[in-house]
Order: sequence, then structure tokens, then C-alpha cells
Amino acid sequence: MSLEIESMVRHVSPINPAVFPHLTLLLLSIGIFFTAWFFVYEVTSTKSSRDLFKELLLSLVASLFSGFGILFLLLWVGIYV
Amino acid sequence: MSSELPARNKMRICVVFLLFIFTICGSINVDTVSSDIKIKNVDRIIDCSSQLVKTTSKITLENSGKAPIKSFLLAIENVLKDHISFLGVKDSHNKDLRLIETTVKGYDYIKFYRVELKDVINAGSSSIFTAESVFTKALQPYPTAITQQEDQLVKFNGNLYFFSPYYVISQKTNVILNTKSVESFTKVKPFSQLDGTLIFGSYSNIGPFTEKELSVHFKNNSPFLTVTRIERLIEVSHWGNIAVEEKIEIEHTGAKLSGPFSRYHYQQDHHSGPASVRSYKTLLPASAADVYYRDTNGNISTSNMKVKKDSVELDLRPRYPLFGGWKTHYTLGYNVPSYEYIYHSGNEYLLKMRVIDHIVDDMQVDELVTKVILPEGVHNIKINFPYSITRLPDTLHYTYLDTQGRPVISFTKKNIVENHIQDFQLRYTFPTIIMLREPLIVVGSLYALFLCVIIYVRLDFSIHKPEHAHKD
Repeated sequence: MSLEIESMVRHVSPINPAVFPHLTLLLLSIGIFFTAWFFVYEVTSTKSSRDLFKELLLSLVASLFSGFGILFLLLWVGIYV
Repeated sequence: MSSELPARNKMRICVVFLLFIFTICGSINVDTVSSDIKIKNVDRIIDCSSQLVKTTSKITLENSGKAPIKSFLLAIENVLKDHISFLGVKDSHNKDLRLIETTVKGYDYIKFYRVELKDVINAGSSSIFTAESVFTKALQPYPTAITQQEDQLVKFNGNLYFFSPYYVISQKTNVILNTKSVESFTKVKPFSQLDGTLIFGSYSNIGPFTEKELSVHFKNNSPFLTVTRIERLIEVSHWGNIAVEEKIEIEHTGAKLSGPFSRYHYQQDHHSGPASVRSYKTLLPASAADVYYRDTNGNISTSNMKVKKDSVELDLRPRYPLFGGWKTHYTLGYNVPSYEYIYHSGNEYLLKMRVIDHIVDDMQVDELVTKVILPEGVHNIKINFPYSITRLPDTLHYTYLDTQGRPVISFTKKNIVENHIQDFQLRYTFPTIIMLREPLIVVGSLYALFLCVIIYVRLDFSIHKPEHAHKD
């Protein structure tokens, strides 16, 4: 059974394309901040002061924000994935 | 194994198969000419002013029999049979009627179409229909080669009478040429020549299948542009965009250029090269954005874009003017927002887009290949076409952030004109949650990178042991 076109609604993007640039800048700046924090932590901590849980948490937050930031960057520049 | 089947079984299969074939042939392909139908009047207009031959016939059909009729036949004359690209019939309410290609016993050499009526024509009454047909490559350049300064002359060969399997009581034909310079034309009285129009008729009482040559030789400098091949790529993204890209090969198929081409004369005098094509207009959908026009060398800068109320008009000027026999190819692309063409209800989606879009006014396209790239994870694909079209095997396309590849639906059609600019409907199922996969691929790979760093700092690559272990 196929639906009739009259009973369907127009498909819009789950995120308004007009906010792609803002989202990109916001998410990527947060992502880069955490990435920087992670690397600074990695090079300054020593074997004894290193905390694995903190490293994993920092890297997870950094990759989440950077990952979504990169996606919206792709969409913003016209690479519609 | 069929060779091991008992003979009786094989026979039975054969008989069933033959029966099957006969029923298929019998039910679809053979019609008879009803002697009850008569055509009271035909007003035919043959428009030869462009590179196409467009005919519009107003047919008054009369049922002189006893039983109501549900369908009638249209026939295409032999001289134009191989040139037909489009045929459409409308009833008196301007509604499109269904057409089925068919054959009639005893007239195997003629192309027939059966028109299925919406309301029957009762005995004794009559009804008016409008048949529209478009023929490509029916105008032959004559002479076949001209110099840069010469006008292009073309010859049209058709049928003086409306070609029909029925008796035609009265008929009249107007041939629109849009020029007064007519070299010669068939003179069968009564006829007259008015400005750019030749009027033939009215002729009365013409029997079925009457063919008499109608030949017109006249000046036609309209652009003779044939799109020899177009590849149309539609890439759907559920992030709100549809990217369309058309790779077009175009050729001037009018009278060939003989002798040299003088760029100097061409630039000096705008009347030079009357049969050549300097530029042409392409219409894009009103919502088209980020338009590009390029070829293998890069951007073709001699183009203009005008945003109008209901379309985007591109004024495309190829790198060189096109004379007869010259060709060019280019890529034209643009983006349109998805809400114009995609509809959904839950996870069920419907893409409604044009099979082909406008390229040139009065265009003729030899071959079209349209490819629709759907997002990854789409399944349950069903497609509806507005007219008969050949579907090609589905393939996969790999681009950014793909793992298993995007499904590609492709189809092809030959001999296309403007009347074929119609929508196809593609239905598919796409769970919205799959859209999250793309960002998660990026997140996952970044996280893997960070994990590598975490492991790396725990490795010890020093050659000698520190003197005071764990000093800090």
C-alpha cells in the first residue's frame, strides 16, 4: 500500500540549514578547547599523576564536539553528506 | 534438468508457455479499425518554425454506429513514423487521455495508438479531441552545407491529409513557417499563403490511410541544437539539500558549415552567421542556488544568471559559436532545497522530481540518462514514471562518510522533447535515526585517534633506564 502525496508533509532538514555556520563555529570551538586541554594534560602529566578516567572523559567530550562540528562544517561548505 | 524431464511434461510446459504468449499478444497488441467511427472535421496546425515539427489537430469524432465507443485509433504516417517523439491527446475538458501503442492486422507497417476515452461516445453523437504530436529531425537541411553568411534552408516532408484509419469528411491544414521566404511547396488546390503561414484546404471526403506528399522548402534560422547525450545526476541528502548535476553534450545539427569560419566577420557584423548559435537560455527551478557552468577547462565565464519569479534563467554562451556540425559539452549544476521535492509520512519518503529539465527552448534530446543517488540506509525503493522509460540496473555510489555505499537508481530514454518534462515519483523507506550515523563515524574516528595518544604516552621508548627511577 502506498501513501498518497496529499497525506504527506514536506520534508525539511532536522536542523535548519541557516544555522549550520553558527553550529559549526560553536561546536568546533568547544571541540578544539577540549582537544587542547586533552593534549596539554597528556604532555604535562607524569606517569604518577596521570588519571586514565580523566583522559578518557576529556577525549570523549573533545571527539563528540569536534565530530559534530566537522559534520556541520561539511554541510556548511556544501558537502551534503 | 530439463533434458531429464519426461516428454509429456515437456510438452505440457510448452503448451502452457505458448498459451501464455498468445494471451499476452492478444490482449494488448492487436486492434481493429471500427467502421462506425467517422471524422467530421480536422483542423490541423503544423508548426515548423523551430527545429521541431509540432502538430496540433482538433478532431471532431462522430459515432455513426449503433453501439457506444470506448476507444479510437490514431495512426502515424509512414513518412514521419521514425521521427515521432511525443503524442498526447486531450478531450474536450482538456484532460489527458491514456494512449497505448498497438497494431492493426493487415497494417503492420503503420504505427498505431489506441486512445482510451474517459466518457464513451454514444451512438449518433460526436466529440472533440485535441491530438498533439512532436516530431524530431523531421526538418532536413537542404542544402546540407552552407557558408558562414548564408541562411539555412530546410525541407519538410509530411502528409497533405490528416492520416487516419477513419474516413475524414472535411479537413484543413495550416503550416506555420514564420517566414515569407518559401522556396517551394506542394500546391494542391485550394491553398493560400498568408504571411508566415501556408493554408491547405479545406479538403473534403478523404478516405482512410490516404497519403499524399506535402513538401515545404523554406528558410529556418532558428537554433538547430540537438542534445546528443545528457547525464542528469540527482543527489539526495536528508540534511536539507538536493544537488543536481547535468553533463550535457550538444551539437548543432542544422546545415553544416562549408568553407572557412571568419571570426573577424562574425564579430564585425551581427547579421553574420544567421544559422549559428551564439548563446541560448536554460531555465532552472526557481529555488535553484549555487549554480555552476563549466567544462573540462574550468568555469565558462561567459554566462549570466537572472533570478525570476518562477524560474532561474541562465544565459549560456559556449566558448565558441556553434555552426552546423559543431559540438560542445559542459557541466551544469545547482542545489535545490529538499522541501520542494521530498515528502514524507513517518519513515516513508517520496521524491517527486523531473525526469529531465529544460535545456534549450524547443529542445531535442537524443539520449537521456538520469541517476538518483539516495542516502545510505534507504530500502524498499519503488519508482513510478509518467511515461515508458527503460530502467537500468541499480548500482552503488561511494562518497564522503559512506560505508556500504549509496543506492543509485538509474533510467534512460531516447528521443526526448519538452513535452517529456514531467515528474517521476520515487518512494523509499528511511529511518531518520540513520542520519546520526555520519556524525558518529567522525566522532568514532576522532576518539580512536585520542585513544592512540593515550596508549602512546604509556609506552616507554627510552634506550637506558633512568638512574633514579620514580624520582618525581
